[in-house]
Amino acid sequence: MTPTISVAGLSRRYRGHTALDNISLTVEPDTVTGLLGRNGAGKTTLLRIITGLEFPTDGEVTVFGAVPAENEAVLRRMVFVREEQSYPDFRVGTAIRVASWFYPYWSAELAEQLIADFELPLSRRIGRLSRGMRSAVGIVIGLAARAELTLFDEPYAGLDAVARQLFYDRLLTDYAEHPRTIVLSTHLVDEVANLLEHVVMLDHGRVALDAPTDEIRGTAMTVSGPATAVEEFVAGGPVWHRQAVASRASVVVPGPFDAAAQARARALHLSLEPLSLQQLLVHASGGAAQEKVCA
Amino acid sequence: MRMKTLVNVARYHLVDRLMYVAVPWAILAFSFLINLAIAAMAPRQPGGMYTGGLVSIYVFLLICGVLSMTRELPFGLMLGVSRRSYYLGTALLVLALGVAYGLALTALQAVERATGGWGLSLHYFQVPWIMNGPWYQTWVTSFVLLVLFFLYGMWYGLVYRRWNLFGLLTFAAAQVLVALAVVTVVTLTHSWSAFGHFLTTVQAPALAGVLAALAIALGLGGFSTIRRVTI
Amino acid sequence: MPSLDEGTPLFVQIAGQLADDIVDGQLTEGTRVPSTNELAAFYRINPATAAKGINMLVDEGVLEKRRGIGMFVADGAREQLLAARRKLFAEQYVGPMVAEANRLGIDNDTLVSLVKETSANNASANNGGKTR
Repeated sequence: MTPTISVAGLSRRYRGHTALDNISLTVEPDTVTGLLGRNGAGKTTLLRIITGLEFPTDGEVTVFGAVPAENEAVLRRMVFVREEQSYPDFRVGTAIRVASWFYPYWSAELAEQLIADFELPLSRRIGRLSRGMRSAVGIVIGLAARAELTLFDEPYAGLDAVARQLFYDRLLTDYAEHPRTIVLSTHLVDEVANLLEHVVMLDHGRVALDAPTDEIRGTAMTVSGPATAVEEFVAGGPVWHRQAVASRASVVVPGPFDAAAQARARALHLSLEPLSLQQLLVHASGGAAQEKVCA
Repeated sequence: MRMKTLVNVARYHLVDRLMYVAVPWAILAFSFLINLAIAAMAPRQPGGMYTGGLVSIYVFLLICGVLSMTRELPFGLMLGVSRRSYYLGTALLVLALGVAYGLALTALQAVERATGGWGLSLHYFQVPWIMNGPWYQTWVTSFVLLVLFFLYGMWYGLVYRRWNLFGLLTFAAAQVLVALAVVTVVTLTHSWSAFGHFLTTVQAPALAGVLAALAIALGLGGFSTIRRVTI
Repeated sequence: MPSLDEGTPLFVQIAGQLADDIVDGQLTEGTRVPSTNELAAFYRINPATAAKGINMLVDEGVLEKRRGIGMFVADGAREQLLAARRKLFAEQYVGPMVAEANRLGIDNDTLVSLVKETSANNASANNGGKTR
């Protein structure tokens, strides 16, 4: 199947700064991909190039098999919800109504439901909304558009945890009923870990990780307990992180562990905890995890 | 590039009907009424009273032009529209507004003539040499002027977007320098009288032609400038 | 809502929880199991993941697909799962128990009587509910 997004050897350089350095990746149709990484890793730049807002310095990006920049056949099949979107002096209802003109698959009922969910005041000017409400407007447009390729770049600025969960829930439900390709850039990884089928992590403009979520789960464990027991247990193997307090220690090592190893750990009174996706990525950006999980 | 998209872009701008429709005409009406009052109170002059009040509507379209490429651009591009479509859709709107507003001005001019300058010999909608002739000439000239002012405004918006404040200042400064150069040349060659004579002989159609050429040049230039604008 | 842990692939956990329900008798043979979308909404996970879990059980013969209607618990599913789990019982439960008993100095005879005692307590607490 042709990938929805295909990035090959992409670089984006500015004067004195390389935002993206020889990036290659693909995004398959009808999947949810997480685009993760620290601030300044290059996530936003990558998304802007994919959506034709910026132009590559080197390399190639194709979306739906064609170059996206200035290509309306491609652009009209995408919607990009950005972190800071500026609107003209519109009321909330006007902005949403205008957006509906441009998207062929727009769902008015979904828009209505989301407006109610986020309690958006339709007649208020967007400029007078709180940051969270502004983000909600972007989310309403992004979801109701039901565009074949839906891209979110940290779209929840200012939204509280309840509203964010609402966003994830609505995203999931609508995605289940109307499959599409979704790319979600976020640094709140654990909140969305269960939604992601695939994870791409950028670090300083390079791809640090590109794998299905299932492959990454459980690939690192925290072993904690009495320091001597911990050292005995992990002896001979790689240790990615070590922490000690008094006579207790906690180390991060590659996992998972088979039943025998688990039994040994129990015998030594050690506790084993798999790392969350967020923690895994923290270690991956340190470089150590690369050999284990790179696809 | 589909017609539907261009029309949607035009509709998008027109959502701000206040700025594009209500305010320009309100200002025009206000300025007209002021002039009317003055004409009523001041002693009659031979040849009637000419005012420059009409310029307000053109200035307003210039402002709309600036806004179309600044405040309204980011959201427009978010809607899956290419820059070129956005530009052409805006141009489409401008042409439509030019035709419609030009027609309105022509109609008002006709009324003004028919009422002998509103009974007060007030020439608000008649501009010497430029808009004083047959109705179709007025229509064409005002159409070209409206489009030109809007495009000029769009240029300021685009220059700002593409080359930021520094570029904007350079753009403005360059125009001032060019104007200064022209004035210098004319002064040094003692051509002011010739220039003045030329102005009195210029025909409205020729003027409209020159302005139209200028508008087309601006239009094409803007089209290629917007291609590398990033938001 | 049952919680999902970080360690094992989600689809394996989904399949595991469905299997648990079958073994416990919550999902009897011939009943319809929740659809992919229903599971996805319930666990707040990606529908593709839920589908993977269901497909895993279909591949094992625990669930069967009836076209146009949905996924159903296959005949003999419970027995099949019980058999598989019995095989793992020794490794997963007995082994750790014996190891812990050894560590605490509980000898085998005490261990066996502990097992009998606990079993009797459980039976009376359940009031003859679930059969084992």
